[in-house]
Amino acid sequence: MSFFELVNCYPEGSSSASRMALAARSLGYRGIIIFSRDPEKIFMPGAAEKVKGIEVAFGVEASASSPRALKSRISSLRSRYPFVAVLGSSDEVIRMASEDPNVDLLIHPCDSRRPLGIATARAASSNQVSIGFDLYPMIHLRGNHRARWLEALRRNLELIRKFHIRTAITAGAATHLDLRSPRELMALAEVAGFEPDEAKEALCQPSRILELNRRRWAGPGVEIL
Amino acid sequence: MRSRRRYMIFELESEDTSGLIQARDLMNEIASSQFSLFGDEGAAKNRLRLISFDGRIGLIRFSHLHLNETRATLAAVHSIRGIKAAIRTKGVSGTIKSAREKYLPRLVKLSYESDGRRIERKDISGCIIRTHGVKVDLCPDDRYKSAGSEAQFMGLTSLDLCGGHEDADGTADGL
Repeated sequence: MSFFELVNCYPEGSSSASRMALAARSLGYRGIIIFSRDPEKIFMPGAAEKVKGIEVAFGVEASASSPRALKSRISSLRSRYPFVAVLGSSDEVIRMASEDPNVDLLIHPCDSRRPLGIATARAASSNQVSIGFDLYPMIHLRGNHRARWLEALRRNLELIRKFHIRTAITAGAATHLDLRSPRELMALAEVAGFEPDEAKEALCQPSRILELNRRRWAGPGVEIL
Repeated sequence: MRSRRRYMIFELESEDTSGLIQARDLMNEIASSQFSLFGDEGAAKNRLRLISFDGRIGLIRFSHLHLNETRATLAAVHSIRGIKAAIRTKGVSGTIKSAREKYLPRLVKLSYESDGRRIERKDISGCIIRTHGVKVDLCPDDRYKSAGSEAQFMGLTSLDLCGGHEDADGTADGL
């Protein structure tokens, strides 16, 4: 299976891209997508590409001060990067990202006060936007905070299943010590409420997105061969 | 009737440099993670027991029906005694003997060597804490460089430091 993991590297994290690639390779990933708010500032991206036995791709996390500015930023980034993710920091951003077909992955925060809405889920489904779940809180939170996060995740998963939205899961690693192996991530996802098949599909989803974006498309459903 | 058991070999990867993490600390953290995720009832069904731990490699026993729960429990451990750590599962087997035979030989060649050298570059400077193959752990002079990820050290490789061939000792050009 082509399991891919999404990672943050130095300067947004504290491990370099090549260290992340080495750690991910030893954990059994086929590739990593290094995504950053400013990919040009990533420390020594060339060194990561020299690590053998693992595919390294660079993506971008689009962010802007307002939803309108974000939309124009996404369209300008689309042609330059094979993977465009948006962090759902507010309701407006989540709604905008779910309606934009240029967005590959919307990382939902799973806040119990801001659940995934029906309109957002329907828009994400029709625009083929995948919803990403960062399992970092599952690993790092304890007690009441984690219980609330799990409750929000389970509620979101009901809508995901209803609208047949593709999902992705990640450990949200900022250092090589935050990385977890695919089996461990699947085990955590199953405890959080994913079905075993859903968890496996979610780990393969980033590679599927990359593969689609590397092909040349003239329009929706029309590929240039 | 005796319940069926499984044995899991794991490796502890951490920022601990002076052997502060003992078997008791590790087991306390694993038990805390298990109680937090599955509660008393879940912990009663799957009684985890640490068979051995030498500071890096360990062997844990669990019920054969609860493999995924055990994986999730170990994956949810992120720090031990306040030191950032991760437990890497190496393999699962039905007996202690076969677990050791299958998964331990590959780990014998791993060994850390302590280091006292420095890296001086325009964007990164600090002391090398340890190296292992091409992997380099660096204690940055500017502690804010690793502040966002709760990590003490920065994870680099020699490829980052010289940009040359992967077998080259890249630390040499920054000393």
